[in-house]
Amino acid sequence: MSTQLLEKAQQLREAVRHFVAHEMPAELRVKSQRHQVLERQDYLQWMQLLERKGWAVGHWPQQYGGRQWSSLERFVFEDELARLGCPWIIPFGVKYVGPVIYTFGSEQQKQRFLPGIVKTEEFWAQGYSEPGAGSDLAGLRTRAVRDGDHYVVNGQKVWTTYAQWADWLFCLVRTGTDGKPQSGISFLLIDMRSPGVTVKPIHTMDGYHHVNEVWLEDVRVPVENLVGEEGAGWTYAKFLLQNERTAGAIVGQARHVLDRLKKQAVETRVDGRPLIEQPLMRNRIGEFELRFLALEQASYAGVLAMDEGRDNGGEASLIKIRGTELYQQVSETLVDALAEAGMVFDTEALHATPGLPLLGADDVGGILKEHLYNRANTIFGGSSEVQRNILAKVVLGL
Amino acid sequence: MTTDIETIGMLRNSLERYVEDNCSFLQRQELMKEPGSFSQQVWSDLAEFGFLSLCLPAEHDGLDGDAAAVGALMEVVGQALLQEPFLMSAVLATRLVARLGDAGQRGRLLVGLAAGELIFSCALEQADACQLEDNRLSGRIPLVMHGDAAHGLLVAARDARGQLQLCLVDTDQSGVQRTAARLLDGRGAASVTLDNAQVELLATPNNGLSLVDNLQLLRDEASVALCGEACGMIRVLLDTTNDYLKVRKQFGKPLAVNQALQHRMADLYLLLQEALALTDAAQRALSGPVAERRRLVSGAYTYICDAARQVANEAVQLHGGLGITEELNVTHYFRRVMLLNSLFGGRDQHFLRFVEQSLTAA
Repeated sequence: MSTQLLEKAQQLREAVRHFVAHEMPAELRVKSQRHQVLERQDYLQWMQLLERKGWAVGHWPQQYGGRQWSSLERFVFEDELARLGCPWIIPFGVKYVGPVIYTFGSEQQKQRFLPGIVKTEEFWAQGYSEPGAGSDLAGLRTRAVRDGDHYVVNGQKVWTTYAQWADWLFCLVRTGTDGKPQSGISFLLIDMRSPGVTVKPIHTMDGYHHVNEVWLEDVRVPVENLVGEEGAGWTYAKFLLQNERTAGAIVGQARHVLDRLKKQAVETRVDGRPLIEQPLMRNRIGEFELRFLALEQASYAGVLAMDEGRDNGGEASLIKIRGTELYQQVSETLVDALAEAGMVFDTEALHATPGLPLLGADDVGGILKEHLYNRANTIFGGSSEVQRNILAKVVLGL
Repeated sequence: MTTDIETIGMLRNSLERYVEDNCSFLQRQELMKEPGSFSQQVWSDLAEFGFLSLCLPAEHDGLDGDAAAVGALMEVVGQALLQEPFLMSAVLATRLVARLGDAGQRGRLLVGLAAGELIFSCALEQADACQLEDNRLSGRIPLVMHGDAAHGLLVAARDARGQLQLCLVDTDQSGVQRTAARLLDGRGAASVTLDNAQVELLATPNNGLSLVDNLQLLRDEASVALCGEACGMIRVLLDTTNDYLKVRKQFGKPLAVNQALQHRMADLYLLLQEALALTDAAQRALSGPVAERRRLVSGAYTYICDAARQVANEAVQLHGGLGITEELNVTHYFRRVMLLNSLFGGRDQHFLRFVEQSLTAA
């Protein structure tokens, strides 16, 4: 079985390579490979390009427009795009809320929302974290109180990525306070244009606007926008997180930055000789290559285990911990290898079309921006500490 | 040549069952007092149950097992810390004779190896330690694992023209002096002095590779087999330590409830998963293109050496004072893990080769 799976996945990888080299618009490719700031319009273009290839929702069932990809195909697809420095696949619609709607939503919700998600005609954001509920998500306090045909929602969400562009927010709210914190949570779809919704930017240390606070004050949400049953939201939230398990992009990003480091180590010269000839740099790159090899092989093995039903719940944590930590450390070494060019940071240039930095290669500014923001990778989506808690509890029974 | 997965599973299960009954930790402790530090009874059982025929070619009624089959059994060898010369004699020497021996040598030697009546060991790492002239070999080999028990030694040496040759040395002759030694993990070994020892050459490659390429392939196969053994050791160390943390109480609660310790165990678990995946990948790479074989085998070996060492260090540490005692099995795994860094060229040589292979593409 695994040979067939591997062959199909390899075919997809080659198709992705061909697409990026020959079909992706050059302007978008260059902008993305320089890690310049991508706007809403860039992401729309990107997601719609993928949709035309049948890839935006390749992992969905056929009846909803997907290709029923295996976990391995899904992994390889994300891995290869990230290796090639392509834009992020914004996950909130196609990866997160879409599968929740087609699995637990009403017929009416499927018809209303799925087409817009498939074609990325509507932007989605995720209303999960709150000021008092981060890793301990079940501690969320945003309240939804039934009032006739509506819920009235009050509370505050935080770290909401691209809420400034969002048309819709899928949101965990508290509809009950009895029993365990996990019970009494419901899953609501909130129109961002509703009165009482306020988005306030949070500026991150890379000088860019990725994340927001979302304030909800007496926001009226029609009852038909409740997904599934009232009080069962925690089940859907966990289902959603499971859909994040095959995070190929983490592995691809690590590979991308490692390749970039090797290129830089050839280009940077010390006393007239390429940096890569120095034993210290060879050793560092060698150690990174070694860790990448382990990450790559263990990821493949883990994703194959998912497809073959042999997984034990620890596979995703391995990819997340190892991938993000390696990415951060390689990125640090890359910034160091940029030498003077790595010390100048001009956030304005990252918005400009040519976007060329004062010193160094044309992607230097983007490398710095990525380096600053990638500190978030070990924090979001289950921090490294939470991942280790999961391994200890779920796999080791500690 | 691929061994099917059912056969591999069956072999592994039957060896596991056998060692559970016959090679417990306490039984192993007794062996340390025996010459050669291994059990003749276990060795002849391994032959009788067919494990020593694993690498025998099919035309000699062997299983013609591939790297995955060898790896599965080596995992059990690692789990039980088997003392017997399975890797040296039944895997490496048997493969060398099968690939490099002429028809007469294969017919004469392979059956004895598979029956356990012949024990061979290999000294492939120091081709310049001995001189070969007119089928006479002289020199000193500092250390050969299982050299104390071996009936024959396969020694890589250069002849008068500087060509690499593989010599079979019968240890029962006046030109061979052996001083028995015991390795760090208790296995037997010998320091060998050769003085015009009579040898026969194994010089008829029948697998399409030159003799030199054959020796390189075999060293890679040896390293990959050790990866399997290391996985077995890592697994036992992880399980033993995990169980201990659940039962050992301090400050009125099990050690396992401390998050600092949970996170360390999580890291050890990741190392096991990586070691298993790398071992699989290295096994597959053995039958692939040479450059990729070198990169993957060396990468896997390096990473697994480091992983095994970290797991062994942590297993000792997390057992507290008990963790440094002779009577705890953990310390015996610790000692065998130490050896990984030095066998068949060793960890650092593999790392250098891995870096070389990884950076040539840059």
